[in-house]
Amino acid sequence: MDISFALTGKGYVILASDTTAARSIVKMKVDEDKIKVLSPHLLMAYSGEPGDTVQFAEYIERNIRLYQIRNTYALRPPSAASWIRRTLADSLRSRKPYAVNLLIGGYDTSTHQPHLYWVDYLGTMSEVPFAAHGYGAYFALSLLDREDGLMSGSSYHDPEAPLEEGLKTLRRCLDEVAKRLVVTPEKYKVKVVDKDGVREIEI
Amino acid sequence: MNSFLTRYSSTTPEADIRKAKELYGEDEDFSEVMWGSTGGFGNLASGVPMFKLPSVQDPSSFLRMHTDDHADPSCRIKIKHGTTTLAFRFQGGVIVAVDSRATAGSYVASGTVKKVIEINPYLLGTMAGGAADCQYWETYLGIQCRLHELRNRERISVAAASKYLSNLVYSYKGMGLSMGTMICGWDKTGPAIFYVDSDGTRLKGDLFSVGSGSTFAYGVLDQGYRWDLTDEEAQELGRRSIYAAGHRDAFSGNTVNLYHVKQDGWKFIGNYDVSELHYNGPGDVPGATGGGYGYDIRVAGRTSTNAPEGEAGEGQA
Amino acid sequence: MSRSYDRALTVFSPDGHLFQVEYALEAVRKGTCAVGVRGKDVVVLGVEKKSVLQLQDPRTVRKVAMLDDHVCLAFAGLTADGRVLIDKARIECQSHRLTVEDPVTVEYITRHIAGIQQRYTQSGGVRPFGISTLIVGFDPHDTRPRLYQTEPGGIYSAWKANAIGRSSKTVREFLEKNHKDDMSRDDTIKLTVKSLLEVVQTGAKNIEISVMESYGKITSLDLTQIEAIVAEIEREKEAEAERKRSRLAATAAGQAAMSQAAGGSGQ
Repeated sequence: MDISFALTGKGYVILASDTTAARSIVKMKVDEDKIKVLSPHLLMAYSGEPGDTVQFAEYIERNIRLYQIRNTYALRPPSAASWIRRTLADSLRSRKPYAVNLLIGGYDTSTHQPHLYWVDYLGTMSEVPFAAHGYGAYFALSLLDREDGLMSGSSYHDPEAPLEEGLKTLRRCLDEVAKRLVVTPEKYKVKVVDKDGVREIEI
Repeated sequence: MNSFLTRYSSTTPEADIRKAKELYGEDEDFSEVMWGSTGGFGNLASGVPMFKLPSVQDPSSFLRMHTDDHADPSCRIKIKHGTTTLAFRFQGGVIVAVDSRATAGSYVASGTVKKVIEINPYLLGTMAGGAADCQYWETYLGIQCRLHELRNRERISVAAASKYLSNLVYSYKGMGLSMGTMICGWDKTGPAIFYVDSDGTRLKGDLFSVGSGSTFAYGVLDQGYRWDLTDEEAQELGRRSIYAAGHRDAFSGNTVNLYHVKQDGWKFIGNYDVSELHYNGPGDVPGATGGGYGYDIRVAGRTSTNAPEGEAGEGQA
Repeated sequence: MSRSYDRALTVFSPDGHLFQVEYALEAVRKGTCAVGVRGKDVVVLGVEKKSVLQLQDPRTVRKVAMLDDHVCLAFAGLTADGRVLIDKARIECQSHRLTVEDPVTVEYITRHIAGIQQRYTQSGGVRPFGISTLIVGFDPHDTRPRLYQTEPGGIYSAWKANAIGRSSKTVREFLEKNHKDDMSRDDTIKLTVKSLLEVVQTGAKNIEISVMESYGKITSLDLTQIEAIVAEIEREKEAEAERKRSRLAATAAGQAAMSQAAGGSGQ
């Protein structure tokens, strides 16, 4: 039931994830953070099989950190994403694979380029301008595909949109899900990564 | 980058040592203990302690076949299920309350089960799901906590203890363990509760309820919960919530066991009979409002009949 | 046959010595000096840097390593051995966070490192690590600075101030004379530099200083800062010498006057 979104814009990536942790029909927790800060300019939203998600995310988190301590500099987003995908793909071929879907967003401080990767539990990875996992994808992707300017003063996805516009676009996705999905998460955690690093944004 | 795998790889000096040890048949566990710097987690690092499995091809499907009493009421092994447990954090510490009924299928196997497992004087675990799984692994957790204490000269944090359990059950994921537990205690950071289940989920939180009656308990608990509850109010809320589940959930009931964790460790508050609570209330205990909890008891003598003035209605005396 | 005596280089000599461990200690004594000093709420690591060759890049030679956000390590002895041990410690720091959620305490990681060193004195086919280490840092949820030392044999101990490596005995004796409890940040740094100057003749350019002020807050002093401290120490020494000279002169003059007076009265 996890829902996560991500989109890029002019010099930033936004990641959003719902904050519920449910077990059967009961919400066990409504303020769970499902976006990990892997390094000063790298974020990862995770969803999937309970147990696997956190175990995998923490394993990744600690290894990325170890890399940074060993080499003084953190892995750049493309390399980090490749390594994470590979780890997931290796696990898929093991006795007990991790069933985890990921959105990896990062800002490359040397090329000044934001990167967003969509990764699923089978180890598929693609670099995309926007992405979603869970039921949110059924509503948001078409919305984000739509070209800009068909409606006056509205914002759909635009690779050059400033942060405020990007957040408005995200808001649109969340609103659409709230309107049409039977069980809607009430809260989302939103994190942004840009040249200044990572920060959380209230939406 | 595959750094944590170093200890399992075959080219490092450590691996050479290991090989040498295997060659000479040295006791690996012994040397780990001697080394004593794995913070109580040595046996996780060197593989989870051995656990006897049924000598069949696929233990988990074997277990599923012989324990699923939904599909087959005559299955050979009936795992004890059905529970209500709750724990919440508040200004005065942690309240832990549980029922005491164990059911196997539709049969009430016991009405006097201890579903709070006293891990050590500062840590409590609750039991939901497989009684044996909870009892065994939480006792095992107690042993590891004590070893951590001895090695590090300080008490284990609730976070660490719960994480230990969570990693442990996660390593058995898909092999039939069934546990839904809350690890509650007080450490350097103050009162803490972690929900841990056999999926490997581990959540930190202020308020949890687990088991078949949890929805009923949540109903009372969520409405009455505030951070600044007094000790008495909090104990009453715990009691009242388990009663509600015992009353409405067929698989929960019999008695309520109530614990309170404070800075100096946990304290057993009392055992209360659910029927007694229904008709007469908890008796003369701090926080009790007096009288039975039961709806019919609470509203005895009152009616919704709304007859006009002067016209004597049924309900009017 | 399998339990023969030649399975390890580290076997006891008849009089109870482990020669390999003692040789390792000798390697430590040949290494460049490292000093650790604990102040009131600060802990400072100072190391003697070997002079780099003219065409060498000095940035590639480092003797102070971060183990985690809140723990630092300096070593004396074989640099290559140090690198291996540091990597093992860094892995353990992250592994500990993964399994216990909390970061390591300074004592824990010290014990771990000492544990590794000990194992290499008791295993077949290996030799001991030729390094001693100084480990500094702050424990999580705690404000007290920590300083530990480990040795090739696997011994570890806590200190207020200590030195390892070349001439460590001289430096330690200096520290024993001059260390005070509850020193301020500046005093702690100054004492560290001062003690290093006891053995480092070439001054500021061969000294590296790392200061840890609280959990996760670590800074390395740059050359100009160290030069300033060295200059200040020189000035103080100069002033001290000046005072001594004038005192000496005063007493000499006094004595001369006295002897003259005595001579006069004797006449």
